[in-house]
Amino acid sequence: MSQNVFGDNRRETIKIIGAIGVQCAFPFAGDELYGQHEHHEPGRSADPGPPQFFNKDQFAALSRLTELILPGSLAAKVPHYIDLVVRNNPIHKQTYTEGLAWLASVHFLTLPEKDQLALLEPLCAEVDRGETNTLQQKFFRLTKNMTADGYFTSRPGLLEYLGYKGNQVLAEFPECKIDEH
Amino acid sequence: MAKEVFDVVIVGSGACGGTAAAHLARAGVNVCVVEGGPKIETRTDFNTHAMPYDFPNRGIPKMRNNKPGFDTERSRGLGGKSMLWNAVAWRFGPRDFEGYTRDGAGYDWPISYKDLAPWYETIEREVGVCGNLDGLEDLPDGLFLPPAPMKCSDILIQRGAAKLGHKVIHVRKSTLTRPKFGRPACHYCGNCMAGCDVAAKYNSWDGHMRPLMKTGKITLQLDSVVYDIPVNSENRVTGVKFLNRTTLAPGEVHGKVVILAAACVQNVALLLQARSNRYPNGLANSSGRVGKDFMPHFTGGVEAFLTKLIGKPITNDEGFLDHAYLPSFMHQRKRDYARSWGAQFNYQNRRSVGWARALPGMGAAYKQSVKDRYPSYFVFSPYGEKMPDDKSYIDLDPGKKDKFGLPEVRRFLYWNANDMRIFRDMQQQSRAILEAAGAEIHQVYTEPRPNHEIGGTIMGKDPRKSVTDSYGRTHDVANLYTLGGNILPSGSEKNPTHTFMALSARTAAHLIEQARKGNL
Repeated sequence: MSQNVFGDNRRETIKIIGAIGVQCAFPFAGDELYGQHEHHEPGRSADPGPPQFFNKDQFAALSRLTELILPGSLAAKVPHYIDLVVRNNPIHKQTYTEGLAWLASVHFLTLPEKDQLALLEPLCAEVDRGETNTLQQKFFRLTKNMTADGYFTSRPGLLEYLGYKGNQVLAEFPECKIDEH
Repeated sequence: MAKEVFDVVIVGSGACGGTAAAHLARAGVNVCVVEGGPKIETRTDFNTHAMPYDFPNRGIPKMRNNKPGFDTERSRGLGGKSMLWNAVAWRFGPRDFEGYTRDGAGYDWPISYKDLAPWYETIEREVGVCGNLDGLEDLPDGLFLPPAPMKCSDILIQRGAAKLGHKVIHVRKSTLTRPKFGRPACHYCGNCMAGCDVAAKYNSWDGHMRPLMKTGKITLQLDSVVYDIPVNSENRVTGVKFLNRTTLAPGEVHGKVVILAAACVQNVALLLQARSNRYPNGLANSSGRVGKDFMPHFTGGVEAFLTKLIGKPITNDEGFLDHAYLPSFMHQRKRDYARSWGAQFNYQNRRSVGWARALPGMGAAYKQSVKDRYPSYFVFSPYGEKMPDDKSYIDLDPGKKDKFGLPEVRRFLYWNANDMRIFRDMQQQSRAILEAAGAEIHQVYTEPRPNHEIGGTIMGKDPRKSVTDSYGRTHDVANLYTLGGNILPSGSEKNPTHTFMALSARTAAHLIEQARKGNL
């Protein structure tokens, strides 16, 4: 059985060293947040605190970027969340240093909104098609991911905007009434 | 003072170790359970009701107050992985024990469904399994508590599957839908795999061991990481040696019988690292088969949105994660592969919205499209049975060691031709079912991913081709047993823990019989 059913051997061996997971792991990588591998320290509040990695100008550009990707990000402190994740990850540090230098080089913050969007929307479309080759694409992909993670796991994003209704104590699980409305 | 010699030393306190310990203790057998992690209190140690925004990095830690135990691969902690499982509890069907006879591939079990059926019933009677009586040949019914009602999303998928002639049934879980055994019924908070704070979901401590502690027959040796299993000149194991998890101080307990129940891969690793002059390639490995025949289940998942629920008001439908199941329908079909697959679905937790990353667009329209799809998102996750091959095995890293000085475990996995045929079929059929249910496909796995660990010291009649007999007793060493996924010679496509527990109860009964005869 040296060939797989695709008639080639591109999956010759898949060598897995490390965790396979508990009995029934959630399947998709999208369920794993960037921040999850950092260990929470007891007694600290859920606030990620003031930015430590980004300087003032970088943080301002990042804030604008997240707000354009998901309006409400700033109020949900998404840029603060991103700072917390990035400061603990050397690869992200480099991507952000270079990506934000690119935004500075095009004077992103001083552009009118329509020019900011003209810069980002085509980039977003490339990234949505799965292209992550250039620095700009890598930077945007990472920021869109972290903005989505940060916003939709925040209280304003998850509870207030999406309207999460679980985590309650039910005496019985209700029968579905789908045919009645 | 003479050293204490327990009747049975059990390594690991999860579903297998816990089941065996409780059954043995109830019969008056003196047991020592050696657990690598600390005592876990389900009521206070887990973050069952936490939300991601309670933590700065939005990751909910497994344990409260930095309590150690479950943040490592080895799930060390009293109750083991039974604390964190999803509790799906199928009986394997008669076919699952006869894979080689039926398909001409893989291995038969040395026992049949009839041999194990009474032990499934024993487990159902003592821990509680909810489910519906469906009358399916391949998924035998058991003694069930009432099933949890299906979610609306399940019913939409059920109707889609029905158009293609496939059944969707109520899931069966070791989770109480009615109060029983001094444990409350499930309250459907939707975070089962973070640890159930009320033990409505079975775990081996609350469900099996805790009620038997009053017998005085269970000694817990906690925080003790086993590293060796000494074997004497009479070819009998004498107990286990361990290191304290924090101080690394060495210790040893002695037993007339040793059962390794530390989970599939860890059981294999323990045997491989317990080398001696008599067993230079690892304990009980005269066949050279320890670590071989590694065949974890694999999944081929699809993420999708049910179009009928897009833009609908959000409801509280996390439930106890999945409430429905697509049983294998492969045995009625002509197909180009051995074995089968079935599908779990709709077990996502709505506290996580990771799928939003991959939705196209940005700005207000993107935000709205996430909101619209939020009530409609679900995961469809078929599970296939992997066939054994020479390239899929477990061994020990010759160089790397962990802080206990234990060699790191390596898993080698190869997706062979049969695996890939199952994978391709599960993807095609899953897409067809989801389209019939009116679902919009979001993301699809491009290759199989391993899940439930199975194989490594398979049971069999031939000591040259297998490592244990049907009781998990090693062919080489008469008083050494192992329980868990590692002894299954063929894993079916069904979630396996219920079968592990039934096998553990059967092995306990066999040992009780030996004890009565004075043969321990």
